[in-house]
Amino acid sequence: MEIIRNPSLCYGCRTCQIACSFHHTGSFWPDRSSIDVLRNPQTGVIKWSIDSTCDECKSEKEPLCTKYCTYKAIRANSRK
Amino acid sequence: MTEATGIKCCIAGKILRVNLSTGKISTQNTEKYARKTLGGRGINSLIMLNEIEPKTKWDDPDNLLCFGTGSLVGTMAPGSCRVDISTINVFSGGKGSANVGGFWGPELKYAGYDNIIVSGKSKKPVYLYINDNRIELREASSLWGQTTYETDNILRRELGDEHIKIAAIGPAGENRVRGSAIIVDTAKAAGGSGVGCVMGDKRLKAVVVRGHGKIEVADPQGYMEEVAKCYRQCAENESLVLSMRRGTIDLFVDQEFPAWNLEMVARNGQDDYWQKEKRIRLMNPETGIPSLRKWVRACPSCPTGCMPYLEINKGKYEGLKGEGIWVNTIQSAARFDIDDPEVMIKFWLLANQLGLDTDYITAGLSWLFECYEKGFITKKDTGGLELTWGNGEALIELIKMVAYRQGIGNLLADGMVEAAEKIGGGSEYYLIHMKGQPSQESYRILKGWGLAVSTSPVAGRHLRGATQGPEHFGPRGLDFKATEYRNQPKAVIWQGKTKELEDNLGICSYVGTWIGAHFLTPANFVGLVNAGMGLNLTEEEMMDHYALLGRNLEKAFNALHTDLSREDDLPPKRFREEEVKSGPFKGFKADEDKYNEMLDELYGLWGWDRKTGMQTRSGLERLGLKEIADKLARQGKLVDR
Repeated sequence: MEIIRNPSLCYGCRTCQIACSFHHTGSFWPDRSSIDVLRNPQTGVIKWSIDSTCDECKSEKEPLCTKYCTYKAIRANSRK
Repeated sequence: MTEATGIKCCIAGKILRVNLSTGKISTQNTEKYARKTLGGRGINSLIMLNEIEPKTKWDDPDNLLCFGTGSLVGTMAPGSCRVDISTINVFSGGKGSANVGGFWGPELKYAGYDNIIVSGKSKKPVYLYINDNRIELREASSLWGQTTYETDNILRRELGDEHIKIAAIGPAGENRVRGSAIIVDTAKAAGGSGVGCVMGDKRLKAVVVRGHGKIEVADPQGYMEEVAKCYRQCAENESLVLSMRRGTIDLFVDQEFPAWNLEMVARNGQDDYWQKEKRIRLMNPETGIPSLRKWVRACPSCPTGCMPYLEINKGKYEGLKGEGIWVNTIQSAARFDIDDPEVMIKFWLLANQLGLDTDYITAGLSWLFECYEKGFITKKDTGGLELTWGNGEALIELIKMVAYRQGIGNLLADGMVEAAEKIGGGSEYYLIHMKGQPSQESYRILKGWGLAVSTSPVAGRHLRGATQGPEHFGPRGLDFKATEYRNQPKAVIWQGKTKELEDNLGICSYVGTWIGAHFLTPANFVGLVNAGMGLNLTEEEMMDHYALLGRNLEKAFNALHTDLSREDDLPPKRFREEEVKSGPFKGFKADEDKYNEMLDELYGLWGWDRKTGMQTRSGLERLGLKEIADKLARQGKLVDR
């Protein structure tokens, strides 16, 4: 499975990053997230990255980053 | 008193104390303050009340500049990013407070701090650098004089860290222009009360934060269930969400949107109606402000987003870009009679760059335009600027003159009330202000709005309980209408109390109870606080104790520090005397008798003496504020029953 982000739909709210950290740590800890969201305040440009610590939220019904992205900017290929 | 004993989590745990006179930096535990107030603004208010002596002025070193993140900030609760900035109000001399969103607040909590209390005054310009436990006051001479945009560039370059979050003042704050703001992320303004002026007076250019820590909650699964519930409530209100996602101004693309007729105060209050052809020119989707919107951005943990990013690619402002533009921008356009979308974008982004509060600029400078029209001042006074309605170019120049204290700008920078006294000749009547702070609000048509603004403890401003009818404001099911006096106090107190909680928890009103979003209601506040902080509070305790306490702390501060009276809780005189001249609400005014009836009822609902508006001993003691009651009694500021 792959987590895919559509940049044109992303508002840079960082919810995916914080939700991911909750999955990993049971707390809100953006530094320990598989996702990093960085928004330049002057240009509004959003840098988004996901690293190899992503375990696709195997213990959850669906990945928390996609579940809480109300902008529908992140989606995951369905699990087989 | 009710105290939330045993707070386990959610708060970061420490309050940072910084004395700019001595350079001393220390920390203390947050818990004892959070137990009393639940956090955020409540902690700031409590510290100010306990530690600032009456008669202290805003520019005394003993004035405190208090930054306070809400107790839910940094979590996944929708809109949990807000910061209260409190200090002595430069306009009223009483409580000052401004609230701001963005990424700075969560970062401060990840660094381990709930509040920062700044005292003293630095000899040289400095900025405060916080990187977890590393706290430094650093020299800021290279930043002094720079706009907030340039400050952001320099700090990122110097520190070599793209993840830093910055709250900074611009040249206006440095120059102690009264209506200066503190700007977060170069775009979000903590605008009211002159908080940026106080920061400049302390010679503190910026607070730069980087945090690597975590926020824990007492019951993680329970907390996430409550978060999920809020998200479902958000999804149920899809049409509003989709509107906000284009930026809140997008509602005004529809020329029939009710707020067009309800909340536009035209030409400094000469009328409360702005002509349709001008609205269309400003907000035309093809050629107006919406056409210059590149995209929209959201604050952290926000499920809606509301902040347009504008970019102008041709014409006189080619190359101008940045985040900003709100409903207030449209109100400002009406106030100056400017229907040029590019000028309004320039105005707004310039205010962010210079660190100016746009309400101050709007209400203050539109008054100056009227002074020009009526002949109180001439071209000789303005340095050649023709301050005729609709002259956007002149406005842009005038804003710069205020920020840099050039020409007549120097007079305006020291406060509009003071400027009116100097210009004199009857011009004072036309300056619209509340308790000394220039005000751009609607008082004649919107009764609940006017009541809340008039009684706001922080000298005007609409976020302390303003209402605009039951579709979007007030408790569900209350029978009241935006333009009628009946039942407004009941709506205003509910809206005001929920705002007290929002500011303590750090929740954005846009996803809370304001404007009708109701993605979070007081019931959700309770659920989040209990699961997050490990408490067992009820909705009644939240609304009838903590919310009342928040307002009473500020009210007591005003009583101890100012001579504000019931008369100061009435709308500006002009709106009590002059009627709306045109539009569907022609003939409306702020009827003094009716406003007084609303005041009686609202004072009673807050637990104050209905006649004088003063606090009562029983009311304060019920909130556990006996010592404050004694203090007020000694100053003759308490009704002893």
